[in-house]
Amino acid sequence: MTRVIDARGVAKDYPYGGEAVHALRGVDLGVDAGEWISIVGPSGCGKSSLLNLLAGIDAPSSGTVELLGRPLHALREAERSRLRLREVGFVFQRFHLLAVLTAQENVELPMSEAGIGRAERRGRARELLEFVGLGHRVKHRPPHLSGGEQQRVAIARALANRPRVLFADEPTGELDRRTGEEILALFQRVNAEGTTMVMVTHDPGVAARAERTVEMADGLVVRDSGAKGGS
Amino acid sequence: MIVGASLRALFRRRGRTSLALAGIAVSAALLLDMTMLASGLTASFGELLGSRGYALRATPKGILPFDSDATIRDADGVAARMAAVPGVTRVARVLGAQMWRMDARGAAEPLFTVGIDRTAQFLYTLTAGADPGAGEVLVSEPMARTDGLRVGDRVRLATGMDASLGRARDLRDYRVSGIGDFVYNYAGQRSLAMELGEVRRLTGRPNEASLMAVAGAPGVSDDSLARRITAAVPAVSTYSTRELMGEMDKRLLYFRQMATILGSIAVVVTALLVSTIVTIGVRERFGEIATLRAVGVARRRILAGIVAEGVALATIGCALGLPLGLWMAGRLDTILRAFPGLPARLSFFAWDAGRVSLAMGTVALIGALAGCIPGWGAVRSPLGQALREEAE
Ligand SMILES: Nc1ncnc2c1ncn2[C@@H]1O[C@H](COP(=O)(O)OP(=O)(O)OP(=O)(O)O)[C@@H](O)[C@H]1O
Ligand SMILES: [Mg+2]
Repeated sequence: MTRVIDARGVAKDYPYGGEAVHALRGVDLGVDAGEWISIVGPSGCGKSSLLNLLAGIDAPSSGTVELLGRPLHALREAERSRLRLREVGFVFQRFHLLAVLTAQENVELPMSEAGIGRAERRGRARELLEFVGLGHRVKHRPPHLSGGEQQRVAIARALANRPRVLFADEPTGELDRRTGEEILALFQRVNAEGTTMVMVTHDPGVAARAERTVEMADGLVVRDSGAKGGS
Repeated sequence: MIVGASLRALFRRRGRTSLALAGIAVSAALLLDMTMLASGLTASFGELLGSRGYALRATPKGILPFDSDATIRDADGVAARMAAVPGVTRVARVLGAQMWRMDARGAAEPLFTVGIDRTAQFLYTLTAGADPGAGEVLVSEPMARTDGLRVGDRVRLATGMDASLGRARDLRDYRVSGIGDFVYNYAGQRSLAMELGEVRRLTGRPNEASLMAVAGAPGVSDDSLARRITAAVPAVSTYSTRELMGEMDKRLLYFRQMATILGSIAVVVTALLVSTIVTIGVRERFGEIATLRAVGVARRRILAGIVAEGVALATIGCALGLPLGLWMAGRLDTILRAFPGLPARLSFFAWDAGRVSLAMGTVALIGALAGCIPGWGAVRSPLGQALREEAE
């Protein structure tokens, strides 16, 4: 198995009013290619902080993260940015689509940034929107789509450049149970096609959909159902 | 795609963007007017000087044209020596004097009168009749109009007033030979032209001139001609149009300073407007921008989109401000030209394509810079933090 994520001794302090908030206090985590893990735990235990570090959005206060074999701390911001664009996908709790672009254009955007030609990215954007079940809504702009539909567009956007890892922070947090289920079903298909998935949630029901659950409390990993990885 | 999305976002916020554009248009118009004003008077003065083909002026040593009552002595000899300088084609002599016009009830009106050489004169263009000969006088257009004078009519003039008695001396009737449009007259000015010899005789200054004008052959540079004349005829000061414009420029320093200050204010206002609008837009799209960064869009690409908003605002504002500025310049010019004592032909505003494009380019650049500041802030903020703030 190829190691996709390798985090060792990761800590994160946030300066706050002269003191430091110890959000993460030494986390070791390994994720192999094709895995689907969910990170769970109570609010404030450091789930989002960890996800941001694993994805190269933020840098740890100490410890190291290797993503797809690349030591993130050794990369420059522009290199991390390129890695995120080409190898990584993101789905956020709030979907954060560009309001002025249509569903199709939102999906095309990361491909356009990656230098993919117009005809190719059009075709792929349509395919992806079909895949997430929005083939009939390609010309709609986000304000005219429901929350579940916007999240599907966001997933299509995250998949645009065929990422090897997909990160999702509370992807069903703003959706009702049924719509959430539909999103999770989509994730299952994405994972089945070989994409590694790292998902943060505080909902045990949602977490149960993943094959492996990492439980956190107070800045530490307290249980890991697939504890073959790690240190 | 990023730039297109940024611009679309800008124009989707229609009300706010239109208001900002109106503000930028007004300050661009002010900047344009100040740019045109800074050089306008001098440029227009230069045009007037050369308008009848005489590019040089010769005056009594060390004195600027009509700055004093001093005259050039032995004017005919000086004129002959000037005419002999290679490159000189014509020399025009002028002698200024004061005459009084007597009306039917015996009241006297003072009139500025120039004695001119009818074969070489640069002070008026004929609009009716002919140049004045012996016993004749040419009247300015406003005078002909208000007094109902026509070619062939007679006017009674006095060459002097007896101050103690309040009575005219040396009364004489002159025939109106023609009507002229005087280049340097102020709006509505009543004035006369007569034969040089006549004015000399009447004022008892047989061989003098207040001022001379020199025309050069085509292709001869004014400045070098002025130098050659100065060398050949050191008794007078000879100025090229350029030198006189420089002199005018010095005297108009006050005007240019005002134009510079108002123009700078316009630039600052534009910068504030653009950066306010872009800052608000960036604040509103903070989450979008953070997401784009998380997704891996390069910072400079996002920045380019934001800067494009600033440039678009500034250039569209400029495009709208241009016609507004030209219209305002026209109105202001009409007001300023009514200033007493200024030649009516003088214009305060001049269209100088180079300066105007420089000013408008400055505004576009200001727009780009004003977009840079909020844009830079948005793309430099710590990404993890930005995403978190947005989720709150
Ligand atoms: N920028 C910051 N400045 C100060 N403290 C921060 C900052 N970001 C996070 N924290 C703190 O770090 C801790 C972990 O935050 P984090 O967002 O990772 O938790 P979480 O598990 O994702 O919580 P939730 O389930 O509510 O999203 C919290 O106590 C939080 O208050
Ligand atoms: Mg969180």
